Amino acid sequence: MAAPVCLEYRIEGNDFMVAGAASNNIKNTLKMLGISSSVCTRVAIIAYEAEINLVIHGGGGVLKAEITEDRVKLTAEDEGPGIADIEKAMTEGFSTATEYAREMGFGAGMGLPNIKKNSDEFNIESEVGKGTRLYSTVFFNKQ
Amino acid sequence: MLHSVKISREACQGCVNCIKICPTEAIRIVDGEINIISELCIDCGECLRSCSRQALGIQGDDWNKIKEAPKVTLLPDPVFYSQFSHYMDPSALESVVSSFGYEMMTEEMEEAFDLSAYACAQAISHSPRQSLPLISCYCSSTLRFIQSRFPELLPRVVPVCSPLELAADLLRMRTNSSAPITLLSPCPAKITMIKDPQGRERSPIDNAVELRRVARSIMASNASPQPETDARERSNRWLHWARRGGEARHIQAFSDRKLTMLAVSGLRNTIDVLQELELGRLRNVDFIECRICDTGCVGGTGTAESRFLANLRINSINVDWNVTENDVQRAERLYAMDFWAIEKEYTARPHLPLSDNIGEAMAKLQQMKEIYSCLPHIDCGSCGRPSCQAMAEEIVRGHGSVTDCIFKLREGIATLANRIVVMSESQPQTLKIRGETK
Ligand SMILES: Nc1ncnc2c1ncn2[C@@H]1O[C@H](COP(=O)(O)OP(=O)(O)O)[C@@H](O)[C@H]1O
Ligand code: SF4
Ligand SMILES: [Mg+2]
Repeated sequence: MAAPVCLEYRIEGNDFMVAGAASNNIKNTLKMLGISSSVCTRVAIIAYEAEINLVIHGGGGVLKAEITEDRVKLTAEDEGPGIADIEKAMTEGFSTATEYAREMGFGAGMGLPNIKKNSDEFNIESEVGKGTRLYSTVFFNKQ
Repeated sequence: MLHSVKISREACQGCVNCIKICPTEAIRIVDGEINIISELCIDCGECLRSCSRQALGIQGDDWNKIKEAPKVTLLPDPVFYSQFSHYMDPSALESVVSSFGYEMMTEEMEEAFDLSAYACAQAISHSPRQSLPLISCYCSSTLRFIQSRFPELLPRVVPVCSPLELAADLLRMRTNSSAPITLLSPCPAKITMIKDPQGRERSPIDNAVELRRVARSIMASNASPQPETDARERSNRWLHWARRGGEARHIQAFSDRKLTMLAVSGLRNTIDVLQELELGRLRNVDFIECRICDTGCVGGTGTAESRFLANLRINSINVDWNVTENDVQRAERLYAMDFWAIEKEYTARPHLPLSDNIGEAMAKLQQMKEIYSCLPHIDCGSCGRPSCQAMAEEIVRGHGSVTDCIFKLREGIATLANRIVVMSESQPQTLKIRGETK
C-alpha cells in the first residue's frame, strides 16, 4: 500500500470569490490518480458544498482530503456557530443563509442533502457555540 | 488526433505567451521548439490570439487549389455574412459570390438550421427534469473541452449533428453531384470538426478553409452585386447563430413552452458555466449555449472583420422569428428522416493519469508534491511549461529535469561556484613540498 496522499486547505470565512478552488484541486488530483470521472464528480460536489458551508455558515475552517488506494475521506472542520438541530439542517430546502449569501446565489438548502447523497459514508457532528465537523467517504470501486 | 492549429517554428521566438494562455495547458517549448500536445488541444485558437509573431496559424485546406476545381460548392458559416461592409443584404453577397463562379449553399442552410433547432427543442421537451439542462454542441471547441475536462457532462450534449453537417447531408441527398463541398469556417475548431468528426463516422463536408481567406479575396475584387436580387422568402434565422444567443433564440422559436436558457461566450465564461453545471448548481435551466469565442462565432480566429462590427451587422439583417406552420411542417418532415441524429456517442477523452496503477500513481503524486515544493512558484514559463505545477508533473512523467527551471539552474551554479571558491583556496600539497625542498 502506498502512503496516503493528504491535501489540506484553509478556507476563509465569507470569501465567496475563491470558494470552489479547493474542490477543484481535489478533483484534479483524483484525475491524476486515474480515478473514474463519475467518482471525481461526486467528490467534487461533496467538497464544493462542504467548502461553501465553511464559507457561508462556519466562518471559515479547514477542508482535508485523505486519499488511499481504495477511497477518499473528506473532513470539513470549523469553529463557527455550530448547528442546533442537525436533522432539520439535513432536510432539503432548509437554510439559514443570510440575504447576502442568497444574493450571491447560495443558500438553496441542498448542500448537506447532496453531500449525503453522494457519500458512501457520511457523518456530521456539531456543538452550538463550538463548531461543526463533517466527514464523508467515497470508495473508488463502489458504484 | 487531428488539429487545425499550425506552427511555424522559424517564426517562434520562445516568448511563452501562448503557453500561458492555453486553457488546457497543451503547449510546451522544449529545446527551443514549440510543440502542441495533441491529446490536450481543443482547437480553441486562444494561442493564435496571443502570438504577435504569426508563429501560430490555422491549418485549413488549400483554397488556391479548391477554387480551381470545375465546380466549387461553398458551405458558408453564418459568420461569412457578417464580414462585408458593402454587401449588407444577404442576397447581395450571394450574387457577388456567384459572379465568381462559386455555388454557395443557401436554401439548405435555412432548412438545416431550422431542423437542428427543431431537433434540439424536441430533445429538451423529451428529457426528464434531472437530465436538463442540455448543452449545445455547435461550438466544436466547447465539445472537445467537455470531452476532455467534463466527460460527466457528455450525456447532456444534444445528440444532434451540427447544422453545418446537416446542410451538406441535405445537398448530398438531393443531388447526385459528388463535387466537393467546402466549408467556410470561422475557426480552427470547425475545420477539425470535418477532419476528425465527433458523433459520426465521417463528415459529409470535404474541405474546410478559414473564411477570412475567401472573404478577403472577395473584398479585394470590389465586385458589385446584380441589381435585381432574388425575391426568395427568407427567415434569416440561421444567420443569428453567428452571435451569442442566436441558437438559443432559434430553439425557443420551435418550442411550445418558454424555455430557461443560458447563452455564454468567451473562454472564461464557458469554463465557469460548465463547472457550475458539474457541481449541480444550475437547476431549473433547460439549455446552455456555450461559445469558446467572445461574442460568439463572429469572434473566431479565422474571421477577417472586427467581432463588434460583425455582431452589429448580423443584428441589422432582417429576421423573422415567427415560425410559420409551413416551417414547422418542413422541419417535422426532415426530423422524421432521422439523419440529423449523431451516429455514435461522444467519447470521453480524459487526461492520462500518472500511472495505470493507483499505488504507483500515488507514489508519483507524492514525488510531484516534493518537486513542486522546491520550485519557486512564480509560474514564469521560462522552463517552457505553463506553470511550476505543470513542470513538476512533467518531471515525474519523465519529460524534463529540475534544471529546466532557470532558478534551480542558478541555484545549482551558485552551489558549484561556492565549491570552486573553496577548492581554489585549498593549498595543493605537492607545490608546498616542492617549495620547501628548494
Ligand atoms: N458548517 C456549518 N456551520 C453552521 N451551520 C451550518 C454549517 N453547515 C450547514 N449549516 C446549517 O445547515 C443548513 C443547511 O445547510 P445546506 O444544506 O448546506 O444548505 P445551505 O448552505 O444552502 O443553507 C444551513 O443553512 C445552516 O443553517
Ligand atoms: S465559438 Fe464558434 S468560432 Fe469560436 S471556436 Fe467555437 S465554433 Fe469556432
Ligand atoms: Mg450549503
